[in-house]
Amino acid sequence: MSFDAELDAKGLNCPLPILRAKKAINELSSGQVLKIVATDPGSVKDFEAFCKQTGNELMSSAEAGGAYEFMIKKS
Amino acid sequence: MTKRLSAKERRITIIDVAKRLFAQSGFHGVSIDEIVKEVGVSPAILYRHFSSKDELYEAVLHEFSCTRESYVEAVVVDDTSFEPVLRSMTRVFVNSIVNHPDLLKMEMHSQLEGSNASREFFLNRWKSFTDYIEFNLEELDNQGLIELRNVKAAALMYQGMIREVLLLKCLQTTDQFNDMSIDELVNQLIELFLKMIAIKK
Repeated sequence: MSFDAELDAKGLNCPLPILRAKKAINELSSGQVLKIVATDPGSVKDFEAFCKQTGNELMSSAEAGGAYEFMIKKS
Repeated sequence: MTKRLSAKERRITIIDVAKRLFAQSGFHGVSIDEIVKEVGVSPAILYRHFSSKDELYEAVLHEFSCTRESYVEAVVVDDTSFEPVLRSMTRVFVNSIVNHPDLLKMEMHSQLEGSNASREFFLNRWKSFTDYIEFNLEELDNQGLIELRNVKAAALMYQGMIREVLLLKCLQTTDQFNDMSIDELVNQLIELFLKMIAIKK
Protein backbone atom coordinates (compact mmCIF):
# COMPACT_ATOMS: atom_id res chain seq x y z
CA MET A 1 0.00 0.00 0.00
CA SER A 2 1.45 3.40 -0.91
CA PHE A 3 1.65 6.34 1.45
CA ASP A 4 2.67 9.99 1.36
CA ALA A 5 4.33 10.42 4.72
CA GLU A 6 5.68 8.14 7.41
CA LEU A 7 5.77 8.58 11.17
CA ASP A 8 8.00 6.55 13.45
CA ALA A 9 6.31 6.43 16.85
CA LYS A 10 8.24 3.42 18.16
CA GLY A 11 8.98 3.51 21.87
CA LEU A 12 6.45 6.27 22.50
CA ASN A 13 3.56 5.94 24.95
CA CYS A 14 0.02 7.23 24.61
CA PRO A 15 -0.78 10.03 23.88
CA LEU A 16 2.48 10.91 22.13
CA PRO A 17 1.92 8.79 18.99
CA ILE A 18 -1.52 10.40 18.63
CA LEU A 19 -0.15 13.91 19.08
CA ARG A 20 2.59 13.37 16.54
CA ALA A 21 0.18 11.74 14.10
CA LYS A 22 -2.12 14.72 14.45
CA LYS A 23 0.74 17.08 13.61
CA ALA A 24 1.81 14.94 10.65
CA ILE A 25 -1.74 14.75 9.27
CA ASN A 26 -2.08 18.53 9.50
CA GLU A 27 0.72 18.81 6.96
CA LEU A 28 -0.98 16.48 4.45
CA SER A 29 -3.68 17.42 2.01
CA SER A 30 -7.04 15.71 1.81
CA GLY A 31 -6.80 12.14 0.46
CA GLN A 32 -3.12 11.70 1.29
CA VAL A 33 -2.05 8.77 3.45
CA LEU A 34 0.11 8.69 6.58
CA LYS A 35 1.85 5.50 7.63
CA ILE A 36 2.54 5.14 11.35
CA VAL A 37 4.65 2.54 13.09
CA ALA A 38 4.21 2.22 16.86
CA THR A 39 5.19 -0.27 19.56
CA ASP A 40 2.65 0.58 22.26
CA PRO A 41 -0.02 -2.21 22.21
CA GLY A 42 -2.63 0.34 23.29
CA SER A 43 -2.06 2.30 20.11
CA VAL A 44 -4.47 -0.02 18.24
CA LYS A 45 -7.43 1.24 20.28
CA ASP A 46 -6.00 4.74 20.40
CA PHE A 47 -5.83 5.14 16.63
CA GLU A 48 -9.32 3.70 16.24
CA ALA A 49 -10.59 6.33 18.68
CA PHE A 50 -8.48 9.01 17.05
CA CYS A 51 -9.92 8.34 13.59
CA LYS A 52 -13.45 8.14 14.93
CA GLN A 53 -13.04 11.54 16.52
CA THR A 54 -11.19 13.31 13.73
CA GLY A 55 -13.10 11.80 10.81
CA ASN A 56 -9.92 10.59 9.12
CA GLU A 57 -10.08 7.09 7.67
CA LEU A 58 -8.18 4.22 9.31
CA MET A 59 -7.43 2.22 6.16
CA SER A 60 -5.50 -0.55 7.86
CA SER A 61 -4.16 -1.63 11.21
CA ALA A 62 -1.73 -4.54 11.39
CA GLU A 63 0.72 -6.14 13.77
CA ALA A 64 4.06 -7.62 12.79
CA GLY A 65 6.98 -8.57 14.98
CA GLY A 66 5.92 -6.55 18.01
CA ALA A 67 5.24 -3.40 15.99
CA TYR A 68 1.92 -1.97 14.93
CA GLU A 69 1.40 -0.39 11.55
CA PHE A 70 -1.41 1.99 10.73
CA MET A 71 -2.45 3.65 7.48
CA ILE A 72 -4.56 6.75 7.90
CA LYS A 73 -6.10 8.67 5.03
CA LYS A 74 -6.73 12.35 5.66
CA SER A 75 -10.39 13.30 5.21
CA MET B 1 -33.13 -16.26 48.21
CA THR B 2 -30.62 -14.47 46.02
CA LYS B 3 -31.07 -14.57 42.30
CA ARG B 4 -28.68 -16.79 40.38
CA LEU B 5 -26.10 -14.65 38.63
CA SER B 6 -25.02 -15.21 35.06
CA ALA B 7 -21.34 -16.06 34.49
CA LYS B 8 -20.69 -12.52 33.31
CA GLU B 9 -22.39 -10.93 36.31
CA ARG B 10 -20.55 -13.28 38.63
CA ARG B 11 -17.23 -12.31 37.08
CA ILE B 12 -17.99 -8.60 37.60
CA THR B 13 -18.99 -9.21 41.22
CA ILE B 14 -15.77 -11.10 41.91
CA ILE B 15 -13.70 -8.31 40.33
CA ASP B 16 -15.53 -5.65 42.37
CA VAL B 17 -15.00 -7.44 45.65
CA ALA B 18 -11.36 -8.23 44.83
CA LYS B 19 -10.77 -4.58 43.91
CA ARG B 20 -12.00 -3.43 47.31
CA LEU B 21 -9.99 -6.02 49.22
CA PHE B 22 -6.76 -5.51 47.23
CA ALA B 23 -7.10 -1.75 47.80
CA GLN B 24 -7.55 -2.35 51.52
CA SER B 25 -4.78 -4.87 52.12
CA GLY B 26 -2.63 -5.20 49.00
CA PHE B 27 -2.01 -8.25 46.84
CA HIS B 28 -0.33 -10.34 49.55
CA GLY B 29 -2.72 -9.20 52.27
CA VAL B 30 -5.73 -10.88 50.69
CA SER B 31 -6.26 -14.60 50.22
CA ILE B 32 -8.50 -16.32 47.71
CA ASP B 33 -10.44 -17.69 50.70
CA GLU B 34 -11.27 -14.20 51.91
CA ILE B 35 -12.39 -13.16 48.46
CA VAL B 36 -14.72 -16.13 47.96
CA LYS B 37 -16.10 -15.70 51.47
CA GLU B 38 -16.87 -12.05 50.77
CA VAL B 39 -18.43 -12.85 47.37
CA GLY B 40 -20.35 -15.77 48.83
CA VAL B 41 -19.25 -18.44 46.39
CA SER B 42 -17.11 -21.55 46.57
CA PRO B 43 -13.43 -21.44 45.55
CA ALA B 44 -14.29 -23.73 42.63
CA ILE B 45 -16.54 -21.05 41.16
CA LEU B 46 -13.84 -18.40 41.47
CA TYR B 47 -11.29 -20.69 39.83
CA ARG B 48 -13.71 -21.23 36.97
CA HIS B 49 -13.27 -17.52 36.16
CA PHE B 50 -9.68 -16.92 37.26
CA SER B 51 -6.99 -19.56 37.35
CA SER B 52 -4.98 -17.81 40.07
CA LYS B 53 -4.86 -14.81 42.37
CA ASP B 54 -2.40 -13.22 39.94
CA GLU B 55 -4.89 -13.53 37.14
CA LEU B 56 -7.62 -12.00 39.25
CA TYR B 57 -5.34 -9.11 40.23
CA GLU B 58 -4.54 -8.51 36.58
CA ALA B 59 -8.24 -8.51 35.73
CA VAL B 60 -8.80 -5.83 38.37
CA LEU B 61 -6.02 -3.69 36.89
CA HIS B 62 -7.44 -4.24 33.45
CA GLU B 63 -10.76 -2.85 34.64
CA PHE B 64 -8.97 0.37 35.51
CA SER B 65 -7.03 0.71 32.31
CA CYS B 66 -9.89 2.19 30.35
CA THR B 67 -8.84 5.83 30.60
CA ARG B 68 -6.87 5.71 27.36
CA GLU B 69 -9.68 6.83 25.12
CA SER B 70 -10.06 9.98 27.16
CA TYR B 71 -6.37 10.73 26.59
CA VAL B 72 -7.06 10.64 22.90
CA GLU B 73 -9.90 13.08 23.49
CA ALA B 74 -7.59 15.28 25.54
CA VAL B 75 -5.10 15.67 22.72
CA VAL B 76 -7.43 15.87 19.74
CA VAL B 77 -7.95 19.59 20.21
CA ASP B 78 -7.19 22.57 17.99
CA ASP B 79 -4.35 23.90 20.08
CA THR B 80 -1.83 21.11 20.64
CA SER B 81 0.86 23.29 22.20
CA PHE B 82 2.41 22.15 25.47
CA GLU B 83 0.33 24.01 28.02
CA PRO B 84 -3.26 23.20 26.99
CA VAL B 85 -2.47 19.53 26.34
CA LEU B 86 -0.65 19.23 29.67
CA ARG B 87 -3.69 20.70 31.40
CA SER B 88 -6.18 18.41 29.68
CA MET B 89 -4.04 15.30 30.20
CA THR B 90 -3.67 16.15 33.86
CA ARG B 91 -7.44 16.56 34.17
CA VAL B 92 -8.02 13.10 32.64
CA PHE B 93 -5.44 11.50 34.92
CA VAL B 94 -6.61 13.21 38.10
CA ASN B 95 -10.23 12.32 37.35
CA SER B 96 -9.32 8.69 36.76
CA ILE B 97 -8.08 8.56 40.38
CA VAL B 98 -10.81 10.75 41.87
CA ASN B 99 -13.36 8.35 40.39
CA HIS B 100 -11.41 5.26 41.51
CA PRO B 101 -9.41 6.00 44.69
CA ASP B 102 -8.94 2.22 45.05
CA LEU B 103 -6.52 2.46 42.18
CA LEU B 104 -4.29 4.82 44.16
CA LYS B 105 -4.42 2.54 47.20
CA MET B 106 -3.47 -0.44 45.07
CA GLU B 107 -0.58 1.57 43.67
CA MET B 108 0.69 2.36 47.15
CA HIS B 109 0.52 -1.31 48.12
CA SER B 110 2.24 -2.32 44.92
CA GLN B 111 5.14 0.06 45.63
CA LEU B 112 5.84 -1.84 48.84
CA GLU B 113 5.05 -5.36 47.68
CA GLY B 114 6.61 -5.23 44.27
CA SER B 115 4.86 -7.72 42.06
CA ASN B 116 6.42 -7.09 38.65
CA ALA B 117 3.18 -7.01 36.72
CA SER B 118 1.54 -4.46 38.96
CA ARG B 119 4.64 -2.26 39.21
CA GLU B 120 4.85 -2.14 35.46
CA PHE B 121 1.18 -1.30 35.17
CA PHE B 122 1.41 1.68 37.54
CA LEU B 123 4.72 2.80 36.11
CA ASN B 124 3.17 2.88 32.67
CA ARG B 125 0.26 4.98 33.86
CA TRP B 126 2.69 7.67 34.99
CA LYS B 127 4.91 7.16 31.99
CA SER B 128 2.28 8.54 29.62
CA PHE B 129 2.68 11.74 31.54
CA THR B 130 6.39 11.93 32.05
CA ASP B 131 7.08 10.89 28.45
CA TYR B 132 4.81 13.63 27.21
CA ILE B 133 6.52 16.24 29.40
CA GLU B 134 10.05 15.09 28.59
CA PHE B 135 9.38 14.94 24.89
CA ASN B 136 7.85 18.40 24.72
CA LEU B 137 10.37 20.08 26.99
CA GLU B 138 13.16 18.66 24.85
CA GLU B 139 11.48 20.10 21.79
CA LEU B 140 11.06 23.51 23.47
CA ASP B 141 14.67 23.34 24.59
CA ASN B 142 15.85 22.62 21.04
CA GLN B 143 13.88 25.62 19.84
CA GLY B 144 15.59 27.76 22.47
CA LEU B 145 12.27 28.53 24.15
CA ILE B 146 13.26 27.25 27.59
CA GLU B 147 16.52 27.02 29.49
CA LEU B 148 16.12 23.91 31.59
CA ARG B 149 19.17 21.96 32.62
CA ASN B 150 17.37 18.73 33.35
CA VAL B 151 14.24 17.78 31.47
CA LYS B 152 13.91 14.38 33.17
CA ALA B 153 14.00 15.99 36.62
CA ALA B 154 11.32 18.47 35.56
CA ALA B 155 9.07 15.58 34.49
CA LEU B 156 9.71 13.82 37.80
CA MET B 157 8.86 17.02 39.65
CA TYR B 158 5.53 17.20 37.85
CA GLN B 159 4.76 13.57 38.68
CA GLY B 160 5.61 14.17 42.34
CA MET B 161 3.40 17.23 42.44
CA ILE B 162 0.37 15.46 41.03
CA ARG B 163 0.91 12.33 43.10
CA GLU B 164 1.07 14.37 46.32
CA VAL B 165 -2.18 16.19 45.51
CA LEU B 166 -3.87 12.86 44.83
CA LEU B 167 -2.62 11.39 48.10
CA LEU B 168 -3.76 14.47 49.95
CA LYS B 169 -7.18 14.79 48.37
CA CYS B 170 -8.15 11.17 47.70
CA LEU B 171 -6.80 9.30 50.70
CA GLN B 172 -7.00 11.73 53.59
CA THR B 173 -10.22 12.97 55.09
CA THR B 174 -8.83 16.34 56.18
CA ASP B 175 -5.91 18.32 54.90
CA GLN B 176 -4.47 21.83 55.06
CA PHE B 177 -6.19 22.63 51.76
CA ASN B 178 -9.72 21.82 52.87
CA ASP B 179 -11.02 25.08 51.45
CA MET B 180 -9.70 24.25 48.00
CA SER B 181 -11.05 21.70 45.55
CA ILE B 182 -8.67 19.22 43.97
CA ASP B 183 -9.04 21.00 40.62
CA GLU B 184 -8.13 24.37 42.10
CA LEU B 185 -5.11 22.92 43.84
CA VAL B 186 -3.97 21.14 40.68
CA ASN B 187 -4.38 24.36 38.67
CA GLN B 188 -2.27 26.33 41.12
CA LEU B 189 0.49 23.75 41.00
CA ILE B 190 0.41 23.73 37.20
CA GLU B 191 0.85 27.53 37.31
CA LEU B 192 3.90 27.12 39.54
CA PHE B 193 5.33 24.46 37.26
CA LEU B 194 4.85 26.62 34.16
CA LYS B 195 6.49 29.56 35.95
CA MET B 196 9.41 27.34 36.77
CA ILE B 197 10.01 26.12 33.23
CA ALA B 198 9.41 29.71 31.93
CA ILE B 199 8.54 29.17 28.28
CA LYS B 200 9.57 32.23 26.28
CA LYS B 201 6.70 33.65 24.23
